[in-house]
Amino acid sequence: MRSRRPVVASLAVLGYVVMIVPLVFIVITAFTSGSTLRFPPEGWSLRWFSEALAYKPFMTSLVSSLQLAVLSAVFALLLGVPVALAIHRGRLPGRSLLEGLFLSPLIVPELVVGLALYQQFMIGLNLDNLSTLLIGHTVLMFPYAVRVTGASLALMDPAVEDAARGLGASPLRTFFTVTLPLLRPGLFSAGLLSFITSFNNVPLSLLLQSRDFRTLPVTMLDYVQQNYTPIVASTSVLILAGTVVIAIIAERTVGFAKIFGGINT
Amino acid sequence: MSVRTTQTGTPAAQFRAVTQTFGDFTAVDAIDLDIPDGKLTTLLGPSGCGKTTSLRMLAGYLTPTSGTITIRGKDSTRTPPEKRNLGMVFQSYALFPHMSVADNVAYGLKLRKVNSAERTRRVTEALELVGLGHLAGSRPKKLSGGQQQRVAVARAIAIRPDLLLLDEPLSNLDARLRLQMRSEIRRIQSETGLSVVLVTHDQDEALEMSDQMVLMKDGRIQQQGAPHEVFAAPANHFVAEFLGYENFIPDGNGAELTVRPEHLVLTPEASPAATTGAVSLTATVLDVAYRGVDVLITVEAATPGGEMVRLLSDTRAAGAPDLRPGDRVSVQAPDAHLVRLPPKS
Repeated sequence: MRSRRPVVASLAVLGYVVMIVPLVFIVITAFTSGSTLRFPPEGWSLRWFSEALAYKPFMTSLVSSLQLAVLSAVFALLLGVPVALAIHRGRLPGRSLLEGLFLSPLIVPELVVGLALYQQFMIGLNLDNLSTLLIGHTVLMFPYAVRVTGASLALMDPAVEDAARGLGASPLRTFFTVTLPLLRPGLFSAGLLSFITSFNNVPLSLLLQSRDFRTLPVTMLDYVQQNYTPIVASTSVLILAGTVVIAIIAERTVGFAKIFGGINT
Repeated sequence: MSVRTTQTGTPAAQFRAVTQTFGDFTAVDAIDLDIPDGKLTTLLGPSGCGKTTSLRMLAGYLTPTSGTITIRGKDSTRTPPEKRNLGMVFQSYALFPHMSVADNVAYGLKLRKVNSAERTRRVTEALELVGLGHLAGSRPKKLSGGQQQRVAVARAIAIRPDLLLLDEPLSNLDARLRLQMRSEIRRIQSETGLSVVLVTHDQDEALEMSDQMVLMKDGRIQQQGAPHEVFAAPANHFVAEFLGYENFIPDGNGAELTVRPEHLVLTPEASPAATTGAVSLTATVLDVAYRGVDVLITVEAATPGGEMVRLLSDTRAAGAPDLRPGDRVSVQAPDAHLVRLPPKS
């Protein structure tokens, strides 16, 4: 491969280097025994991991982040699946326009969405900021849910659903016994993608934060502005470890090719 | 048009003035059709002729734009597929990939609330009928195309449908398997006594399998009848051409005579055969293609009206005259095999 396409191969290697090297620095720094984010570390210890786990603001905001990510992923799927079905199975006029419209949150800058939500929901309707964030994240995840489930739907032979109808299943029954089970890998990947996107989101979460409800990335951002301790690095490593565990579980249960196969259309 | 199927009792299904349009396109144009009970009917025609659209209307996946479809005497024009009790076999087989073979076959039975013991019995019975009893526990993905096809048939007949509908069931199989499945489907039809409607674009398939065949083109029925009737007496130019009548000879009055290549007799001009039929022309040999069993000879002949037509003769190699391109021949077609076609519309 490399011998035949040296340019492509070098670019690929460069890509990996750019992606992975910063991570390596963070991971190494997390194990320092010193008290600043300095590289190379002055010595080795696990103290910043126990500090991170004991640091209340991080832990409470981690719980908030998880809550938000899980709930918004679920809501995005609950909204996105019917929309994807309507686009791909229904007889709607102007399907492609509709599909474009549902992907628009990807184009609108998040700060604009955030500001609109802030004005309309938090100030205007006096909603608490968890609900507002939940709405914001759901809106943001929604295009992913529509797109990824839509891609799995497009790959599915519609005759399979016709067959179920022909054998006596009502449309609802067909959906639950045939469409939904076949959609499972797509739903899983859409959910995972939404979860990760929500968990990593900064702009919206930053704009809609409050003292009682703040996500982990926002709290960490806040923290590094005032402190320079390796606790941020160790927290990052813990998150990284969590992500790897999720990835392994996903690979073992469904398979990566299957999960992300849904996106490449 | 000759509609002469020996049928007894009421038809399994009836189309009356059924039309289906998609925007400006008329896929099916006011067809009337009776599907005889307990027989195998094929809808035959080139792609876009309306055969699959007709089948999908019969199955309930499409609602006719106008007209009525009656199934077992009941107006079913607007009945959704799940309320029709028809067994459909799709071109792509459309098995449920997340269920075992047995669960695929049991699906329709569960919906009909057939109890577990009876269900098992009927699943086994259906799978044995298609010769797949031993694969009940397999996943569809593990099966060959031919086996998946059989599962699809078993799933459709397990519900004891009022009609069995097959949409180009053999087109995804390889040539050898296709021939085997033709007789297999015939066997299943005669063992179950089901009324079967099969859609195909393959005239050999239709001729071999049908009790009644229905030829369609541009959304209209061109001819229907028993295969031997249609084959021996095509009603128009399209049907003749579709069934392999290669030779069309204008009769000078706008109408045509047609004869199959195997019935066109060529004799060297030096020793002309006694003129017996309505067609007796002189021609020049253009091409001779030896094919082992038979020889295909293309000639150019002058019609009584003075037109030049190309004719094709298919003779058994054993008794074929020794002809070369450029030779003059006399062309005869026996009256018994000559079909008079109405003017092309």
